[in-house]
Amino acid sequence: MKELRGAKLWITIGLVALSCLPALVVENNYLLQVCFRIALFAALGLAWNLVGGYAGQLSLGHVAFFGLGAYGLAILASHSVPVPIAVLIASLLATLVAALIGKIVFRLRGPYFTLATIACGEVLRLTATNLNITGGAIGLTVPTVFTGPMFWKLYYLSAVALAAGCFLVNFWTANSRFGYYLMAIREDEDTASAVGVDTANYKLRSLLLSAFLTAMAGALYGSAFQYIVPDNILTIDISVQMAIIAMLGGAGTLLGPIVGAILLLGASETFKTQFQESHLLIYGILIVLVVLFLPEGIVGGIEQLLRSRRKAAKPPAPTPNQSPAISAVEKGN
Amino acid sequence: MAAVLELRNVSKRFGGLRAVRDVSFQMRENEILFVIGPNGAGKTTVFNLISGFLHPDEGSITFSGHDITQTEPHESARLGVGRTFQIVKPLPTLTVRQNVMLGAFMHTSSVAQAQGEADKILDFLQMSHLKDFPARGLPLAALKRLEIARALATKPKLILLDEVVSGLTTSEALALADLIKRLPEWNVGVVGGVEHVMQVVMKIADHIVVLDYGAKIAEGKPEEVVKQPAVIEAYLGPKYKELVR
Repeated sequence: MKELRGAKLWITIGLVALSCLPALVVENNYLLQVCFRIALFAALGLAWNLVGGYAGQLSLGHVAFFGLGAYGLAILASHSVPVPIAVLIASLLATLVAALIGKIVFRLRGPYFTLATIACGEVLRLTATNLNITGGAIGLTVPTVFTGPMFWKLYYLSAVALAAGCFLVNFWTANSRFGYYLMAIREDEDTASAVGVDTANYKLRSLLLSAFLTAMAGALYGSAFQYIVPDNILTIDISVQMAIIAMLGGAGTLLGPIVGAILLLGASETFKTQFQESHLLIYGILIVLVVLFLPEGIVGGIEQLLRSRRKAAKPPAPTPNQSPAISAVEKGN
Repeated sequence: MAAVLELRNVSKRFGGLRAVRDVSFQMRENEILFVIGPNGAGKTTVFNLISGFLHPDEGSITFSGHDITQTEPHESARLGVGRTFQIVKPLPTLTVRQNVMLGAFMHTSSVAQAQGEADKILDFLQMSHLKDFPARGLPLAALKRLEIARALATKPKLILLDEVVSGLTTSEALALADLIKRLPEWNVGVVGGVEHVMQVVMKIADHIVVLDYGAKIAEGKPEEVVKQPAVIEAYLGPKYKELVR
């Protein structure tokens, strides 16, 4: 078991190293920017995966935390707070807001929960549009951390680092009691509480973790593009994209959100240059195909395929009513 | 022996329907008690009241010295009330072993320890050979056992088995009854609920409570209870007279 974990860890380190490669090879700033967005959305997908994948709570309001991260950094930095501290405070603030939001929305289940999360994101967008401190509809400038010719390379590497951090959190979740409890909540809340899981508490914990990471990604995004407006940074599109990335790749799997981000953003960039506006059509078709044929996502689907292969290789398991106890009882009666 | 579980004058209404009416009974340590009664008698409601999924309108429920009348399900579970569901509620995409591990996690945060616990329990319930299969797609007999395994993994003092043999063939039901009879080896008392599989009840129950339209109409040792004419006529049907003899 431990060896297996060691092997997984090396694979992970290999993947991270591999994903640093574009920073060395690619010189085209546009391509680097695309790579940055892929890495950033992989991080977002992984952050969403904690709530939407493991705990199975379909949130479409995560843009609230994303926006809080970006706006928090912008506002704090304009009051001459150093950037790293500003990012930390903004992320903690988003976590605090997540606690408040969670207390409310986790009272609801299923589609009602999802609707409530959409509302939370929209409330924040409208608030940011109408407040002076957020610059209203005109928006705010966000300080950059890096300058010079290495700009996009360094931002790309930061996004990779964040994605790796999110991956580690997911990895720990998948292999701990915390993760098992979240999965139990996803599969059946009644069963979870019957084995002593405080379901409201665990859902909230997953949201806090997820919100913190999402806010960090928001701050990074804002800082890379240097300018934020509500319609750009607090749009429901970002919430939807986070969810689709995770679900396309495989919600509740470790690699799913990464695969989803590469595929979705890669496809949308490719088709954007070739098909202009109709790229959205292809984007839509891709989603429909995955939902129809791989409802557990690409990684989830592959995992299932491998599992059934392995099962087919093994001799079929005896059915439980052939157990010795039954024949004994039957004789006894 | 002291009562582990005691219901005192418990009532529960759903709108105009009085699902449970002024029911009182006790369960002693490591005893196997069965609540029987026809469909709609209030058995499941009683189980939901004990496990905290519902709260009574009147009356009180105590469990090993704690008043659990108003506790939430996860709190009841942590006090030692384990339960199964009438409509089985497995965690479908998780494997059988992972399902049981969830129960074991109540007492350990170590994945390896939880696996060890789960394996022991699966061995007892004779389903070790199924442990790596996802719970989805198992036959009902296995799912019923899985319910028990998961509840047993929380090391409860009391396990509520709601309609644990319904939908099983007679041989499956009797095999399961044999295992239920051995549950006190794990230091756990049993409150079972059964609608009509009297063979099982007669075989393993120490004590029987009979419900009808939410009210308790009889209580006692299985042999005594089934001899009561009212019980035979109304709930068991005349053909079960032979079984008692």
